[in-house]
Amino acid sequence: MNAIAEDTAGRYDRYFRPGYVHRDIYTSPEIFEQEMTHIFASDWVYVGHESEIPAQNDFVTRSIGRRPIILCRGKNESLHVLINRCSHRGALVCRQAQGNASRFVCGYHAWTFGNDGRCVGVPLSHAYGPDFDLASQGLRRAARVESYRGFIFASLNVEVPPLTEHLAHARRYLDEWIDRGDCLPVVVRAGSMRFETHANWKVIYDNAGDGYHPPFSHISMLRVFARRYGDVDMQYYSGNFDEAPLISRDLGNGHTLLDQRPSMHAQSAWERQHVMPGREILREDLNKHYGEARALEMLDASTGSGLNLNIFPNLLIIGNQIQVLEPMAVNRTVVHWFSTTLEGAPDEVNALRMRMQEDFPSFGEVDDTAQFEACQAGMEGVPEMPWIDIRRHMNTGAGHRGDDGIWTEPISSDQHMRCYLDAWRRTMNAGAARLAKAGADV
Amino acid sequence: MSDVAQAPAVPGLFDLDFYRRMQALVQSWVTLGEIPPARLPAAEDRAACERLLHAEARLIDALRLEDWLSLYTEDCAYWIPADVVGADPARFVSWEFNDRRRLEERVERLEGGRAFSQIPITRTTHIYSNIEMLTAGSDGMEVLCNFLIQTNLCGRVSQRAGWNGFLLRRTGAGWRIVLKRVSLFDADLAQHNNSFTL
Repeated sequence: MNAIAEDTAGRYDRYFRPGYVHRDIYTSPEIFEQEMTHIFASDWVYVGHESEIPAQNDFVTRSIGRRPIILCRGKNESLHVLINRCSHRGALVCRQAQGNASRFVCGYHAWTFGNDGRCVGVPLSHAYGPDFDLASQGLRRAARVESYRGFIFASLNVEVPPLTEHLAHARRYLDEWIDRGDCLPVVVRAGSMRFETHANWKVIYDNAGDGYHPPFSHISMLRVFARRYGDVDMQYYSGNFDEAPLISRDLGNGHTLLDQRPSMHAQSAWERQHVMPGREILREDLNKHYGEARALEMLDASTGSGLNLNIFPNLLIIGNQIQVLEPMAVNRTVVHWFSTTLEGAPDEVNALRMRMQEDFPSFGEVDDTAQFEACQAGMEGVPEMPWIDIRRHMNTGAGHRGDDGIWTEPISSDQHMRCYLDAWRRTMNAGAARLAKAGADV
Repeated sequence: MSDVAQAPAVPGLFDLDFYRRMQALVQSWVTLGEIPPARLPAAEDRAACERLLHAEARLIDALRLEDWLSLYTEDCAYWIPADVVGADPARFVSWEFNDRRRLEERVERLEGGRAFSQIPITRTTHIYSNIEMLTAGSDGMEVLCNFLIQTNLCGRVSQRAGWNGFLLRRTGAGWRIVLKRVSLFDADLAQHNNSFTL
């Protein structure tokens, strides 16, 4: 190992102490730019769901970190992830959120690309001389694109391990989430909510696996439901809720899980759920058509999953929604909440799923967002207090390795942050080392 | 036309037929040209409905949310779509789709003193303009208007804009709101804190 590589191998170690993380990783514009390269442009990143582009030539425009991309369905069900930057002057080639197109024509000089990225036309190309090679003018493509049961991930780094290896134990819980809906396929064409949040993307990732905050941050929501409906979903967050059957799990590679199912679903997820608009009458209608027992099975599929499955760096599965983090700047993130329906489920079930998927965003996420922005403001404003506390259950001996080999801690543990920040540190160190090596090779 | 002013089959409880009627109503609004003369309201009704809307806006801005709720019927809906194309709320997510119960819960949450999204509160000034009214049977009124909401949260000034679709009903206690559909002109794009009353 040469001197430069040695120096950079642990470049990001300085932002960590046992039980603490330095505020710079949330507030430094330089580190944000480095993340866009070392993490978002080097690791597997979730880009969309297959059901969003069901037909040939369907596309959606998304991003990988700050890099704009086009996700398209090509011939023979193929999936393409194109960098949405014209090979000519750098303009965004596609400027629509979604559509159906076999070709993309840049609006500036009409350079034209197939939806597999090939350049298929350049107006007046004689002026580039006789050696001009159309084939070398294509849109850049993601180095790797893989779908895991409909969830499409892409990587700009050809050297990433296979997706299933990257997903590690998260794969099992992704399966459980996908298979939960009465054996019906999940469809992601029911719209989305987008929350603009004035906070670093990791402040939101921190929260996604934080089983300590619910009874405090969400007290306004929990009180209303307790007063009206009694011991319904999430009321188990009271007293010493670490003793409830609620767990935090380390799924590997920065992926984590909060599992609330044993408490949230108890005997029946539906019976435990508080009231949604239409609850009584839609249940009656289903009872009439299918009988009470079958109706109850279907209604269970309308309730929240009880899982918070966090797949580093940008995919957060919460309830029945697919939440995606889009980092915009060091202190600005757009949080996309894609809602889901079940293909082939009765309309009553999907209508209840819609009302359910509006419930937490409007009564809970808004309060979370206030905490995110408060954290960002406090961290940015007070440089003489740079350390952020992530010590919960670090030294209590409360963790254990499950029979399945997965390390498990009480729900209020900070192990989610410790785990994913360790993956963050390792990925960033590796990126810095790669960059240093490339520099040394020149 | 007149049936849209009627209550859902069971008050406050939205069934699929209710969603179908909502869809028909919204489609009639987005395809509306000039108001047919037969549906122009009597001056007296128009004035009464306008007073109701102005009171509604004023009570929101004054944070008198219990009084604001009293302007809504028992079978009301307060709806903020998450799209700008008139998607079917039975199969497409909204920002909010509240029945009376959830609307009361919303007010209770905001007034309980612990709703962090509104600590501090978002200050608002609601402006309703371009008000158009269409009769819906003898005791119903459909109102379309543009809105501009000037807000200030912690010193950060911003605006919300779009159009409202109201469905009003003549009751023994005067005109009341059966539906307020808040169509943000950028509902499909990222929104900052909209946890105040739109």
